[in-house]
Amino acid sequence: MNKVSTGKVIVCDGNEAAAWGACLSRPDMVAVYPITPQSSLVEYLAQFIADGRMDADLMDVEGEHTVLSVLHGAVLAGARTYSATSAQGLAFMFEPYFRTPGLRLPMVVSLVTRDAVSPTCVWGGQQDAMTVKEVGWIHMYCETQQEILDTIPIAYKVAEHPDVMLPVNVNHDGNYLSYGVARVELPDQSVVDAFLGEKQVNWHACLDPERPMAVDPLTGGAGGIGPSLFVKYRKGICAGMQDALRIIEEAHEDWGRRTGRYWSPLIEEYRMEDAEVALVTIGSMTGAAKDAVDDARASGKKIGLVKIKTFRPFPAARIAQALSRVKAVGVVDRSVNFGWNCGPVYQEVLAAMYAQPVRIPMMSFIGGLAGADITVEHFAEVVHRTFRLAGGEAATGPVWLNEND
Amino acid sequence: MGVAFDSISFKASLCDGCGDCMTACSQAKGGASRISIVPGAKAGSFETALCRQCGDPKCVQVCPSGALDKDGGNGIIGWDASKCVDCLLCTAGCAYGGIAVDESVARVGKCDQCDGDPACVKVCPTGALEFRKAGSIFNEYGAKEDLFVPGLSGCQGCNSELIMRHAMRKIGRNSVLATPPGCIPGMGSVGYNGKTGTKVPVFHPLLTNTASMLSGIRRYYDRIGRKDIVVMALAGDGGTADCGFHAVSGAAERGEKVLYVCVDNEGYMNTGMQRSGTTPYGSWTSTTPVGEHMQGKTQDAKNLPLIMTAHKCRYVATASTGYMEDLYEKLDRAIAASFEGFSYLHIYSPCPTGWRIPSSKVIDACRLSVDSNFNPLWEYTNTSGLRFTHSPDNAHPVSAYVKMIGKYRHLSPDQLAHIQAKVDEQVALLKLMAAESPPPPAAHRAPAGSSTPAGAEPSQPARREIARN
Repeated sequence: MNKVSTGKVIVCDGNEAAAWGACLSRPDMVAVYPITPQSSLVEYLAQFIADGRMDADLMDVEGEHTVLSVLHGAVLAGARTYSATSAQGLAFMFEPYFRTPGLRLPMVVSLVTRDAVSPTCVWGGQQDAMTVKEVGWIHMYCETQQEILDTIPIAYKVAEHPDVMLPVNVNHDGNYLSYGVARVELPDQSVVDAFLGEKQVNWHACLDPERPMAVDPLTGGAGGIGPSLFVKYRKGICAGMQDALRIIEEAHEDWGRRTGRYWSPLIEEYRMEDAEVALVTIGSMTGAAKDAVDDARASGKKIGLVKIKTFRPFPAARIAQALSRVKAVGVVDRSVNFGWNCGPVYQEVLAAMYAQPVRIPMMSFIGGLAGADITVEHFAEVVHRTFRLAGGEAATGPVWLNEND
Repeated sequence: MGVAFDSISFKASLCDGCGDCMTACSQAKGGASRISIVPGAKAGSFETALCRQCGDPKCVQVCPSGALDKDGGNGIIGWDASKCVDCLLCTAGCAYGGIAVDESVARVGKCDQCDGDPACVKVCPTGALEFRKAGSIFNEYGAKEDLFVPGLSGCQGCNSELIMRHAMRKIGRNSVLATPPGCIPGMGSVGYNGKTGTKVPVFHPLLTNTASMLSGIRRYYDRIGRKDIVVMALAGDGGTADCGFHAVSGAAERGEKVLYVCVDNEGYMNTGMQRSGTTPYGSWTSTTPVGEHMQGKTQDAKNLPLIMTAHKCRYVATASTGYMEDLYEKLDRAIAASFEGFSYLHIYSPCPTGWRIPSSKVIDACRLSVDSNFNPLWEYTNTSGLRFTHSPDNAHPVSAYVKMIGKYRHLSPDQLAHIQAKVDEQVALLKLMAAESPPPPAAHRAPAGSSTPAGAEPSQPARREIARN
């Protein structure tokens, strides 16, 4: 079991890495509709299936609404499924997307994140994924092409775990990760097969003439058992989400044992051991942020970084634990929380820190919208502002990092 | 369960008095015809004298020798020549003139329905005579399990409930059913708070994604080798013609092996009788009300079954509970086709509540909608093209149909003329498609008198015209 397998090394972009992650997870059915910047992911999958490399039923359908709908049918009949989407596709998919966790359908869908219209924009950003964070899907954000590939089998393990039974979005940044090319190691199929084990039929909700049941009857209404039943279902999803924190850690650990790649399952702490200030990042921006942290450390500044991998369920306790010793926090978002005039990750981190005895100053930074770069220089500015915050200056967020680029 | 019997029906409005039925009967039976066409009360109208195989037959009661007896199996009153004493009392006892006297041999002639294939019906050029097999359908399927529990909360007289129960009796337990939001789940098929009214696996898809979600089920079942399961929808017109149309169209284009039944009650009846894409012109609905500035719906209905033919579906048909034999035959073909490709069945379903008709008149409305060509019955396959299964000729004026329906109560003469014109236009288009279709296989041949494509028996228009005048 502890024998670490080293697979074949390929050079590919993030969309191909996701397609390989899906391929190795052996879904029965793949439904897709192309949308920028996810389109090449669909093409890779189609090619894998055309080449016989992937034994899945390919459903080329008329839109994302149907993409998720056919997968609902397939999962209800017992299938393992995969899909991927972005921005407007996710918006068009929203109606079935909304009901997937409610049906407790374990499925994995890659979100190749993108800024959503309007103004019309087809480039990277995380506005799409952040907009659907409250629906009941598990959301994991990847930093590198390799992490994308590895996280997809991990996501199946989490989704199909009987304590979870929830859909998972594995998110990677549009343009940066989707098109950026890197060295990626492909695990052997046997490693992934052993990791995932036999697929289990989701008997919670199943359509099979051998076991007739009504799936999704009308529930609720005033009086009787309706509202209490509804509450029971809602609480069940909450419980599944909370259990997922543990299952996500276990699955990452198990994956690490088999492949030698141990990804931080919930959050990653980078140079946090004696940090006085901390940055919080999510997704592919973390690489540049780590460089900026290294630069600051080189000049004697005690700074660290917390990367959020799992955004739903939100690892609030782990965040609080990691940030409780610092004097100031700068949170960098790649999307906007319109009602709060800040970034959504910032809002989440604030909430997580509320239970701490000491109030730690925090500031919201928003960058990388519409496919813009968040460079090491941008992060140097974030570091600088966060140290000023630690020094007693009042927070004046949000800081729009790309405002003058 | 009781027993029902097949019967020969006669529609006086279609009879032109040609007498072909009598000739055919006497030829088939070698003597006097058992059916007589007689002048009707109005000039140019005709009635028939034909044995009605009465439930309480007076002929049997008056027969002194026991030569006449009603068969409990098929309902036919049989005549035993060896017992008959030729008293002819039965001909006097029958109030309908249903027993003929064969003068040449001085014995009675008694209709026996030619073993289920009556010669008179076969030759009738106008469709006035029809052999109705509703009795055998009742006997065959009435005994089968009703796959919905009793007590579904449909409105009184609901035609959709009739469709559901009949269709599922025919289809059976080896099926997966999707019932998107609408009247069908509304009456409890999917259930409420954990209780369901359906005995087969049933799913409540979104209003918008029924065909997509069924595609997923079927694809996976095919993949794992469970190819005998009927994967089907009982969907309303809104979820099919309007917001669900992308899914229906996509699944049809991909040739998904799904049986899609659209139960068309011409509106969003479950949510308060709002208009849908299949609501006909002029209809009152709660969103196309009647007032000073608006007189019901201002657009014509979308002809969804016709649109589906353009998708090259494996099978497309229209049906009505007014013609159950036809519906059952189409169900057979639709089920078979659903294992090969997309199979679409469009069943017209008058809504007593939303259309403002008494529940006792629902089946009458079904019949008249067909008989007036408002909803002509036809079927289409991508190899045999389109053919009518119920005559679009000799149709009643559409006014007869709309008059019985409250949602058309306000219609002005202009609106009525518009509806008639649209009906005529639609039938003309269908006839054009039927004319250009290859001849159907003999087993699928339409009854005589239908406007059928090439290959059907040639009609005799000249003689009929004379008879009608």
